[in-house]
Amino acid sequence: MKTLGNKNISWLAFASLVAITFIAACDKDDPQPMVVSGDLMDIPYSPQTYTIIKPANFPEIPIPANNPMTVDGVQLGRRLFYDPILSADSTMSCSSCHLPQGNFTDNKAVSTGIDGIAGRRSSMALLNLAYVLPQDGYFWDGRAKTLEDQALLPVEDPIEMHNTWPNVVEKLKKHANYPSLFRKAFGINDRTEITKELAAKALAQFERILVSSGKSKFDEFVGGNFDAFDDEEIDGKLMFFDEGQFYNLPDAQCFHCHGGITLTGGKFFNNGLDSVGSLDEFKDLGRFKVTGIESDKGKFRAPTMRNIALTAPYMHDGRFQTLEQVMDQYSDNGYGVVNEGAFLNQIGFPNGDGTYTGLTPYQKKAIVKFLNTLTDTTFVKNPDIQNPF
Amino acid sequence: MKKITLLLALSCFAFLSSCGDHDHEPVGVNFDITFKATFDGVQLEKNKDVQFGSIPLFVEACRMYLSDITLLNGSKETRLSEIEYLDFTPGNATFATPTITFKNVPEGEYTGIRIGYGVKPTLNAKAPSDFPAGHPLSVEVDYWSGWDSYIFTTLDGKADPENDGTKNLSLAYHCGSDAVYKTFEFDLPIHVHEGQAGARVTFDMKKFLTLADGSLYDIVANPATSNSASNVIVAQALTANFGRATTVEQ
Repeated sequence: MKTLGNKNISWLAFASLVAITFIAACDKDDPQPMVVSGDLMDIPYSPQTYTIIKPANFPEIPIPANNPMTVDGVQLGRRLFYDPILSADSTMSCSSCHLPQGNFTDNKAVSTGIDGIAGRRSSMALLNLAYVLPQDGYFWDGRAKTLEDQALLPVEDPIEMHNTWPNVVEKLKKHANYPSLFRKAFGINDRTEITKELAAKALAQFERILVSSGKSKFDEFVGGNFDAFDDEEIDGKLMFFDEGQFYNLPDAQCFHCHGGITLTGGKFFNNGLDSVGSLDEFKDLGRFKVTGIESDKGKFRAPTMRNIALTAPYMHDGRFQTLEQVMDQYSDNGYGVVNEGAFLNQIGFPNGDGTYTGLTPYQKKAIVKFLNTLTDTTFVKNPDIQNPF
Repeated sequence: MKKITLLLALSCFAFLSSCGDHDHEPVGVNFDITFKATFDGVQLEKNKDVQFGSIPLFVEACRMYLSDITLLNGSKETRLSEIEYLDFTPGNATFATPTITFKNVPEGEYTGIRIGYGVKPTLNAKAPSDFPAGHPLSVEVDYWSGWDSYIFTTLDGKADPENDGTKNLSLAYHCGSDAVYKTFEFDLPIHVHEGQAGARVTFDMKKFLTLADGSLYDIVANPATSNSASNVIVAQALTANFGRATTVEQ
């Protein structure tokens, strides 16, 4: 059997590209450009493992076996993340609602899609997503088990990008650069092998590298530099973690939902925002829509507290403009709705009759000051995660 | 030549002897243990009303660590696992009855099982970042820096002590720290053979809240464990009940 020499393969690949470009230019509506099998094979495929940089005291980052991290995979994901090519009218990218300076939120109460329709929920911060457990899942309601699953959904959401994946895939196949980037990332042989699953894998790889730098003031303090905090910040930390009993400080109970080194347990709670007569009265049923479990009505994911000062407004519907308003809400110890979090009505000192005092203005101020120590500007300014265009 | 022949003969003998030794090694089999949480003998379900004396309540979360699960046979011990994490109220279901398959367990007859309730001190000295992803001790939500300890047992819920239809008493029993770690042994014949049914371990969480004299724990006076690592009286009192709250069957 005769094999083609390198020169012949190069010529064939070049000819294929010219043909595709010509056909695409002649007929924009042609959904299936003529592709010569193996049109990308001349482009080198030599995947280099991408090592995610994480703080030493963070747990190991789990990487799914079916989507190993590569330098080219991350770069492709980064481009897709910032490219409006994913939306139906090419006006909106993932980054339209997830901007680095807002800890990958858009700092709006709720986000607006390409048709000008406002969504129901606030855009979530994209930080330390790699640590989310499959049983908890992504989004405010945990409806996507993996980052790869999550990446598929906004494109076809009618109030977000309002596109279809077949349409996106066609645009990617016809694009001047993306076919070669998919080749480098995944070793495909020709552009017909571009799929929504590969696009989602690339997006997931990029989102997986969005990990704290470990250089916040809080990290300095827990790393042993106790001078990093002033007295007020220390008081705030003690109350946040319920460690203030020897300093006459009450429990704010925050860490039960926002615990661990990433400061989120990833679990779902009714955090006492609304006084409802029955669970069906919640305007947004949240986690219930995923699990069908009655007591999950009105429950939402506890977001990470890292970089919380950058992500205003707050809550799943962006109802609070400031952290001070958030602390006022929690200090009121909820409404007594049956599925409110177990610790929500235990904020402050016990009154002795089963009720709790809530927090004083100083205590609330100290906790807000502590929350500001979680700001990680090194992360949001990291050049590796900025818009590449 | 004679020497070479002798050497070859000795080598063959040594080789055959070593093969024979291997043949006599015990062969391990898979052994399953299914874990279940109940409340007063009934399957424990998230947010399902149960009765605790005169007080209606429901459980929202029930999780626990177990250390050094070990099969016993006289003085011989076979450790099945160093650490396990059980979540009986996972995020996507009202309850779970996890089954763990322990591999390569020596076949034979055993006389009992020992279970460590919590994270044993040598492991509890570490933190989630010390363990690889997927390891039971990499779970951050059940580690508390305030104690420098894992939360060994979590039992959260809500109670209605006034019986007025409002569950306004939050229960939050989070037991942790080295002083709380406890082991119990359960005597029963356990058969480990190929094709043999596994064991069932049931934790009755009402008995977890029941004292040695049979009286119910005063959940109104003590609805939560203390946050102080130096005051673990409630956590110790409750963990001590695990011996009576645990049933092992095969």
